[in-house]
Amino acid sequence: MTTDSPRLKPVLLPKQALLAKTFHWVNVVSLFIMLGSGLQIYNANPVFGGRQGLHLPPIFIGGWLAGGRDWHFGAMWLFSLNLLWYGLYILISRRWHHRFVGENDLKALQVGKNPKRKAYAWHRIVYTAIVPVLLLAILSGIGMYKPAQFYWIVDFFGDWQALRIVHFMTVPTVILFAIVHSLLALKVGGSRLLESMFW
Amino acid sequence: MQRFNRRQFLQIAGLSGSSLLLGGCGSDLFAGVVGQVTEPLNQRLEELLLNPQKPVPELPVSQIEPDKLIVNSFDFTPMIDPVKYRLTIDGEVNHPMQLSLNELYKLPLTSVVMRHVCVEGWAAIVQWGGVRLRDLIQLAQPKDTVCYVYFQSADGYYESWDLRSCLHPQTLMAYQKNGEQLPIDNGAPLRLAAPIKLGYKHSKWVTRIMLTSNLLPSRGYWEDRGYEWFAGL
Repeated sequence: MTTDSPRLKPVLLPKQALLAKTFHWVNVVSLFIMLGSGLQIYNANPVFGGRQGLHLPPIFIGGWLAGGRDWHFGAMWLFSLNLLWYGLYILISRRWHHRFVGENDLKALQVGKNPKRKAYAWHRIVYTAIVPVLLLAILSGIGMYKPAQFYWIVDFFGDWQALRIVHFMTVPTVILFAIVHSLLALKVGGSRLLESMFW
Repeated sequence: MQRFNRRQFLQIAGLSGSSLLLGGCGSDLFAGVVGQVTEPLNQRLEELLLNPQKPVPELPVSQIEPDKLIVNSFDFTPMIDPVKYRLTIDGEVNHPMQLSLNELYKLPLTSVVMRHVCVEGWAAIVQWGGVRLRDLIQLAQPKDTVCYVYFQSADGYYESWDLRSCLHPQTLMAYQKNGEQLPIDNGAPLRLAAPIKLGYKHSKWVTRIMLTSNLLPSRGYWEDRGYEWFAGL
């Protein structure tokens, strides 16, 4: 056999675009810092119950409130600019149309018979759904960081406490997402898919 | 007189700076580095966002939250005799002055219903009434080079602000809270209040306002311990 025909090609190893991998890495690291320093800030005055409220064990980034704020307002640039350039990239490259959830996924879930295709559809739904959550974290964060300049964001969420709750709820949402996202990726493509996203 | 006072000021700063070493034990060394790298950028953005002419939209009186304003102070509550009280305004000004409370009460009263936001994360809607800091600064006639304003409090607390934020129409030296005389715990007889800065910038029991061209080594009680200096909202 000297000629390769498409039919005889071996199964391709999953491969990710370098830009997608870059985004994923920066997102993982910056989100970790945002969560760690955010919980440090949270502990200064817990969202639920104030000073008498539930404090979290002090294992977070920054050491104390001012340190937590330094990390949070430093890493926010990394986190949000990373999301911004990736947003532009998936729009321009049209990745948005074929790499995120689409009608075909919904159809696969409704009428499809292939369990692997269904798992893949769920995978795509979940990682697409985290995008608005991350954007919500930024919007509510800007509202809390600069409530006088962006008073309309506070108004949009109702009041200060509602704004705090929304911003805080992005933390458990992201943690839950990270777990489900990893499990679904394993289910869809095994450790080879998982590794392809990192290395 | 003026120079002596500034020296005193720096002495206080030196003493308070020593607690940096002690207080630093629990803090994160890297956070200081991260802050040094990113805070100048954040401050530049905050300065860009602040329009010193543009008032922040006021909140309705019906939304005032009297129970939510937590009393925070770094040390003790000073007792000030209102009759003997004088507000000193000096530094690089053409007309240094000392004002009694009655003289302050005669100046135009401005009321602002605003959201008081604490660095800790809580917030309370409060009405503050008092004299615009802008009016006081104009009375003292600062020299052209003035860019910063220092506030000294009777409890030893000290703060510094950028001049632009001090000239904001809602930056007040307040003597009223929620329509009543300012309680001693909230800074009577006179405190800073403005919707454009975090709560720790709002010095209570203010006895002296000093205008300067340069930022001194001590920038504020909490700032010298790691909090952001500009702290704009």
